[in-house]
Amino acid sequence: MIGSYAMPGWLERLKTEYFSRRISRHDLDEIYDSAAKAAIKDQEIAGLDIITDGEPRRDNMVDYFVERFPGVQIDRSSKKFYYDFYDSEVQGKLPVASLGLAQDYKFLRMFTDRQPKFCITGPHCLTKRIRNKYYPTEEALAMDLAKVLNMELKALAKAGANFIQIDEPYYSGFPEDLPWAVRALNALVDGVDAKIAVHICYGNRYGKPSWEGSYRYLFPTILEAKVQQLTLEFARRGGEDLDLFKEFPSSFEVGVGVIDVKTHDVETPDMVVQHLHRALEVLPPERVYVMPDCGCFHLPRDVAFAKLQAMVEGTKMVRKEIGK
Amino acid sequence: MILKLNHLQGKAAAPAAHEVTSTIYSLLEEGRIDQHQFAHLQVELDWVQYKLNFRDPVVAISGSSGPGEPSRLMEVRVDTRQIIPGAFREDMLRALARANPDASPQDQDLLPLEEFQTLRSSIVWKFNRLYWTRLNDWEDVTGQGYEKALPGGQSDGHRADAIADSVIEFWNLLRTLDSKNQLPAEIFMLELGVGTGIRFGLWLDKFKALDAERGSDYYPKLRVLLGDYSLATLEMSKPAVKDHEELCSFLVIDAQNPLKTLSFLRHKILQVHSTNVFDNLPDEEIARRDGKLYFVQARAYIPVSEAERLCTVFDTPVDKIRNCVRRLLDGGFEHMGDTARGVAFWRDIWRAIRLEERMVPFEELPDFQFPGGLDAGKLEDILQAVPGDMRIHLSSGALDSFVNTLPLLHPRGHLQVNDIFVTDFSQYRLGYFGPGKLEGSLLNWVNGALLKEVAGRAGYDVHFAPFSYRKGSKNSILYTTRRD
Repeated sequence: MIGSYAMPGWLERLKTEYFSRRISRHDLDEIYDSAAKAAIKDQEIAGLDIITDGEPRRDNMVDYFVERFPGVQIDRSSKKFYYDFYDSEVQGKLPVASLGLAQDYKFLRMFTDRQPKFCITGPHCLTKRIRNKYYPTEEALAMDLAKVLNMELKALAKAGANFIQIDEPYYSGFPEDLPWAVRALNALVDGVDAKIAVHICYGNRYGKPSWEGSYRYLFPTILEAKVQQLTLEFARRGGEDLDLFKEFPSSFEVGVGVIDVKTHDVETPDMVVQHLHRALEVLPPERVYVMPDCGCFHLPRDVAFAKLQAMVEGTKMVRKEIGK
Repeated sequence: MILKLNHLQGKAAAPAAHEVTSTIYSLLEEGRIDQHQFAHLQVELDWVQYKLNFRDPVVAISGSSGPGEPSRLMEVRVDTRQIIPGAFREDMLRALARANPDASPQDQDLLPLEEFQTLRSSIVWKFNRLYWTRLNDWEDVTGQGYEKALPGGQSDGHRADAIADSVIEFWNLLRTLDSKNQLPAEIFMLELGVGTGIRFGLWLDKFKALDAERGSDYYPKLRVLLGDYSLATLEMSKPAVKDHEELCSFLVIDAQNPLKTLSFLRHKILQVHSTNVFDNLPDEEIARRDGKLYFVQARAYIPVSEAERLCTVFDTPVDKIRNCVRRLLDGGFEHMGDTARGVAFWRDIWRAIRLEERMVPFEELPDFQFPGGLDAGKLEDILQAVPGDMRIHLSSGALDSFVNTLPLLHPRGHLQVNDIFVTDFSQYRLGYFGPGKLEGSLLNWVNGALLKEVAGRAGYDVHFAPFSYRKGSKNSILYTTRRD
């Protein structure tokens, strides 16, 4: 799993109810716990090896973090619908303090025996969403965000998180930022005792791409990233960019997106097999990880579940072929 | 009783209010309106603004407040412009008779052409569709092009200055993408509802010239999709774009679901444009009274006097008229003998058609099919921000078209719609532009405020700007882009 599982319509409604003060924080937290358990169970039944908590607690990939950052000012009236981004800004130097994410990781750990993965939004993406009224450059803000998040990653690792994914979808929208974005990424993961993946897609806001283009912009700069895995989208866009890994040899594992999360059409296992065959033309099997293109947040639950089942089935077929 | 007055285009309803209130009081004293009805009655002046529409000057609407509750008179809506001095009492009595749920059609002095249903399913939209699919026949018989029936006598889409601005804006978008190495190899554009094709022919002329002048070489990359549900209209549009035919594809597309035909272009189209399409798509209406939401159901009818006149002219018994209308809509007008006679029958029926209305509480229709992007919960959320009683368009066809077009947009693409929009819910407090009649087709307000809310929840920003290219134009331009 990349990160989010299907966000049920009823939960969207309840989030809005909470913002309208019609249900309490306590009730909402109980609802989140139940939704997370259901998401975990669905992933297990679908047959996934590596799972997340489905991220039902997150209104979107930004607010879950910015509202916890000390020093980030939030205009709470700026959110009309729960999925909207808060209007946020920094007016001074960010203090270093805990964001308390380990608690959510521990919840995930408590309810599954599978390999858990915890996802956080990276400093480049957060820099693009937080209005900067203090730092002289975007890079300066990103480096301080990375410093706070670095402490958080260490706390997660200490709590047992051995696989952490950094989400950086905005790389594709701002390829010119990549040199400093990778520096911030490296500051973020410095000294963290866990396997680190970085997820780079073309955006999935409202279930739609935010940009189009080629992953060519990543190379060779991304080779400097001190991470073990790149997870990229190939199902929707086709596998042409996989050849970049032949052109730019590296030791990265590659999370190969084989499920298009921007359509409700459910893939067949054979389609998954085709995507994996394409990946195995350029990568050895031990470096290939199978996953959806991006989070399943915008898919109906039944569609998301069926897609995950197809993904698992297709993967089993390929494993059988190659005897793994 | 609550009396609501609207102030429209400098003409106050207040002077007519005295006659209306005194008539209603006298009907109350005579026992023609009972005390209970009177206590809950709302009367609205003025509420119909299209000169040609489907309603009599006075309309009474009944409904029940919940399952099992008896139907009662709820509203009286009066178009004072149409009231003949001294005739209000008679009009009011006729409206009350028609709103009486226990009265027979004979008592109501009307010949129903269908059963009560949501307006979207009414035969008036079948008439509209027939008009566009058989436009050639209508124009041949009447000797009049359809544009003559438009409010300005021609489509706003043809304005040269509007086209020039659109071309420059699009060229700038392409330049921006080009500068980031993000220009697609094929630049897809969609014109939804082609009309005469003149607008897009002019647009392409202008773009080609600009492209040559700036040496950008974008023109050969254009892939222009001209879509319309009427094959006749598509054929008519071809000559207007003949100088660019190598770039153009003509596609029969359901305007309410372009994605069905064009799903292979999901996230690839850089510009979608339409002019006066949304206001011509099937629509339905809802109302809120005393905090409860109601569907407004409609039934098309013709007044008995009009039915009798048609019987004489077309030598058809009254009890066969409904059947004739059904055959006209299902199979065209050939069964009326020759084309001229068929078109004449068609036009006369269209002129005579009226709509009777009633209100049905939401909870009585749990399986109601909401248009794209909406359900009862979302609608209630949206309307929470709109206080008080109201009646609004659901703009079902427009909403379906909108939400089934947005996924086609390239991440940096835009959808531009030139139409008659309500841009803010508060405008419904100042007037109500229900469906109006044009020659053979319908004209409607489009609830842009609702489209904006639905788009916002799907990740699109919507802006409105007045159509400033024609003085006195009632149109607005809706401009939609993906939200970052």
